[in-house]
Amino acid sequence: MKRIVYALLATVSGLVLLFSYRTSLPEDAAVAAPLNANRTDATRVTPAPASPSAGTSSTTTTPGGSSSSSSSGATSSTTTTSKSGLADGTFTGSAVNTRYGALQVQITVSGGVITDVQTPAYPDYSSRDRQINQDALPQLISETLSAQSAQIDMVSGATYTSTGYLDSLQSAIDQASA
Amino acid sequence: MSEPSRRAWTAELMGTTASIHVIGTPDACAAATDAAASTVAALRELEAIFSTYRADSEISRLRRGELSFADADPRLTDVADACRRVEEATGGRFSAFWREGFDPTGYVKGWATDVAATAHLQPLLAMPGVSAVGINVGGDLRVWTAPGAPWSWTVGIADPVRPGAARATLRVRNGAVATSGTAERGAHLVDPRSGIAVSAAVSATVVADDLTTADVWATALAVAAGEDTGWLWDAPLRSAMTVTDAGVRRWVAGVGVETVAATAD
Repeated sequence: MKRIVYALLATVSGLVLLFSYRTSLPEDAAVAAPLNANRTDATRVTPAPASPSAGTSSTTTTPGGSSSSSSSGATSSTTTTSKSGLADGTFTGSAVNTRYGALQVQITVSGGVITDVQTPAYPDYSSRDRQINQDALPQLISETLSAQSAQIDMVSGATYTSTGYLDSLQSAIDQASA
Repeated sequence: MSEPSRRAWTAELMGTTASIHVIGTPDACAAATDAAASTVAALRELEAIFSTYRADSEISRLRRGELSFADADPRLTDVADACRRVEEATGGRFSAFWREGFDPTGYVKGWATDVAATAHLQPLLAMPGVSAVGINVGGDLRVWTAPGAPWSWTVGIADPVRPGAARATLRVRNGAVATSGTAERGAHLVDPRSGIAVSAAVSATVVADDLTTADVWATALAVAAGEDTGWLWDAPLRSAMTVTDAGVRRWVAGVGVETVAATAD
């Protein structure tokens, strides 16, 4: 439900997603945009505006590498851009090759914060395999707009001491469930 | 649909606090008390062997030369071998051998949690009424969810600069999340390659299949947060994030995903 709300708020702007590739991939050197001229290991991807129901998973991936994105749909706007440099909207990158196979990442930005990350395209497992592997598929970490601790089940953070634990969010959650 | 019940148990061990959670029916949660106690006992047994803070532990005797690997608990040899493999895989960004002999402290917490929880907590999923089980030891956690159970864990990533607040969230059914950084204990992170403490504020979070993996790779990523991370390509991680003064960086399965604002189109 949240994603739909964010999508309605979304306006497309000149956000560029860069998916870093290891240098040995053949596609790499081909696209050296001025913006990232110092990054020979990166492929520039033009953002493709997407709505949650737009079927972004239809983007085809080639066996050897990324899908080529020829989208020119990015239009600049006066979107609010936070200090994080991210403009609001939903953006789909081209596929990246990972040990899971080719993955495609879609992010939703609201208020300059990544509020949702989906992987609309992922390895073409058989349905049985997909069921088994679904849980292990990579999911990017979304930044929160606000710390809604009521919805958090467990907290990961730099190791706290037993004393530090008492002031921690984890402590509050534990006490609520003791 | 009623909300599932949840029970939490906490225990102090390994210099921090461990939290064990069971999600399920009220009866199932109540029946999990013994398993939680067994998990804590198993962690304490491993701590007694591997704590460098205890003069009488086997690791302390080994480090003083009073005990050989051959005469020690065989798990010391297993851990030493595993630490060597991790050191090689991380290009020396994680090391248990760089200072004052063999010190596997950075490996043991995640590994011991995996061992104890796999033996005593995970089997609860076979019990009727149990939807999910999880354990968090000082901010490094592992969770399991019963197949088909309508549950997933919402994991918060602690904000390194705002204590008590969450910087990010992630949903996990089965897997581990570990965070390393300078936020809580000051500059206790040292780059083993140089011997120099990481002075910049950094928080590195890694999501992986198990906590042994997530923990050591979070440590490696924390000391290398500012580097080019092509070395992560083959890392056995699902996803990762670092937060530094310079901003947020992300990886999916070892591949860097960068978000950059365009200057013009």
